[in-house]
Amino acid sequence: MQCKDLEAVLEQEGLSPLPVEAREHLAGCTACQNFLADLSTIVVAAKQFPAEADPPDRIWISLRVQLEAEGVITAQNPVAVMEKTPWWQNFPTFLRPRTLAAVGAGVFLVASSLYIMERFGRPQTGKIDKPPVAQAAKPVTPAQTNPVGTTAAKHPNVPPSNQIATKNPPAQPEDSSTVLRPSPSENAFGDSAIVLSQTESDVQSMRPAGSLRVDAALRQNLRTLNEFIAECEQHLKQNPQDQLAREYLNSAYQQKAELLAAMIDSGRSEH
Amino acid sequence: MCASTVMPGTTLRGIRRIRTTSSAAFVQLARQRPAETVEWTEAEAIRRAQTGNSTAFEFLYQLHSRRVYALCLRMMGNPADAEDLMQEAFLQLFRKISTFRGESAFSTWLHRMTVNVVLMRLRKKSLPTDSLEETLEPDAENSGPRRDIGAPDLRLSGAVDRVNLERSIEKLPPGYKTVFVLHDVQGYEHNEIADIMGCSVGNSKSQLHKARTRLRELLQEEVREQARQERQSAKSSTASLD
Repeated sequence: MQCKDLEAVLEQEGLSPLPVEAREHLAGCTACQNFLADLSTIVVAAKQFPAEADPPDRIWISLRVQLEAEGVITAQNPVAVMEKTPWWQNFPTFLRPRTLAAVGAGVFLVASSLYIMERFGRPQTGKIDKPPVAQAAKPVTPAQTNPVGTTAAKHPNVPPSNQIATKNPPAQPEDSSTVLRPSPSENAFGDSAIVLSQTESDVQSMRPAGSLRVDAALRQNLRTLNEFIAECEQHLKQNPQDQLAREYLNSAYQQKAELLAAMIDSGRSEH
Repeated sequence: MCASTVMPGTTLRGIRRIRTTSSAAFVQLARQRPAETVEWTEAEAIRRAQTGNSTAFEFLYQLHSRRVYALCLRMMGNPADAEDLMQEAFLQLFRKISTFRGESAFSTWLHRMTVNVVLMRLRKKSLPTDSLEETLEPDAENSGPRRDIGAPDLRLSGAVDRVNLERSIEKLPPGYKTVFVLHDVQGYEHNEIADIMGCSVGNSKSQLHKARTRLRELLQEEVREQARQERQSAKSSTASLD
């Protein structure tokens, strides 16, 4: 074996254990002995270096910030999810301001919905709550009078159970039998129409909202709806069996209720 | 994950307990993340990290950061570069962790990224003269260090101290340095180095042998230089006495 052969052996097999031939060559070659001794010294010295080193904590902090900024890290409290806790221990989480605010908003929405349903969306029972005396006594101009009311006066053949005049005497000095007797075609909307007309008169008497443009737009929409309702009623008067016109009228009343609610809210928020 | 893929010399086998503690210097972090103890396997942590779990990311970081930092520190020779490169390596790793399918060991994947990041940085520096491609070519006779067998050798026994060796390692070409640090300092086997470096096992062995041989030459130069300086200082002291 030559010196270069020994080097090839060292390259492929490492420093130890060496084959017999290599050891025989080493025994008689000082240069290779020195070479092998030096490599062994280097390897031993290199193994003294630490294979691990503590990095500064700031690296992880910086890394985490970067990963969060890039959206790589998404879950913030995973350990809490892992550890199953009894349900009663999670009560304090409901006392957080954000949770309380969400619950409060939900309660407010439900209450508002109930209020609106109570005021505008009550199902027909043939009975109508007596309106406030001040409103009932208020003279109603023809323009403010609800369309149903005006048409009702022209249709006297209303069943007694639906006659509102027996419960709510009208403020106008007209014959009660001719004022509040909706025709059969308007019978389904009679109660709602009366409530809406009263609400409309309330809204008309309210001060304008802070934004005059909004108030004007709402009033314009109300006028348009009233015109549409009048048209529908006119059509139903001529064709009482027209279901499509009836549906249109129903939808128009619903829109009017929503519009009046919006106008009330708008005025209330400003006052 | 098979046992052979676990990093050699590590104590982090199987379940690893990580205790996150806050220090006074990082009060802000401690506020964000209370002290917590997590017991996961590496595979579980990887799976959770793939869903964006921050604790899993930290677990993996704590599991591997010490070795990665040591590698960067040894390769770059200064803490500032080592920190920078380690952060870059982990950043790349975590960005791509959703693509990890477990074909190779996670530590191998991480070290491959680290080595790539380090070598790219070293190539940008003008000091090293040999590129990885050059040093990874075992057949190029002129690319590796050559040893004159018959030349007078300077025995290094007793002359190799930590400072000399560190200085000489810094002078190694990037390819040699990477293989030497991975094998002789960090304790990786040649098959693992081949995975990390993307080369053959034989190539890894060849690189290691050439790195050791080159180191020997560099150390001999160091020893000669030191001897020369000692002689000069002795001469100057003698002249001043005269």
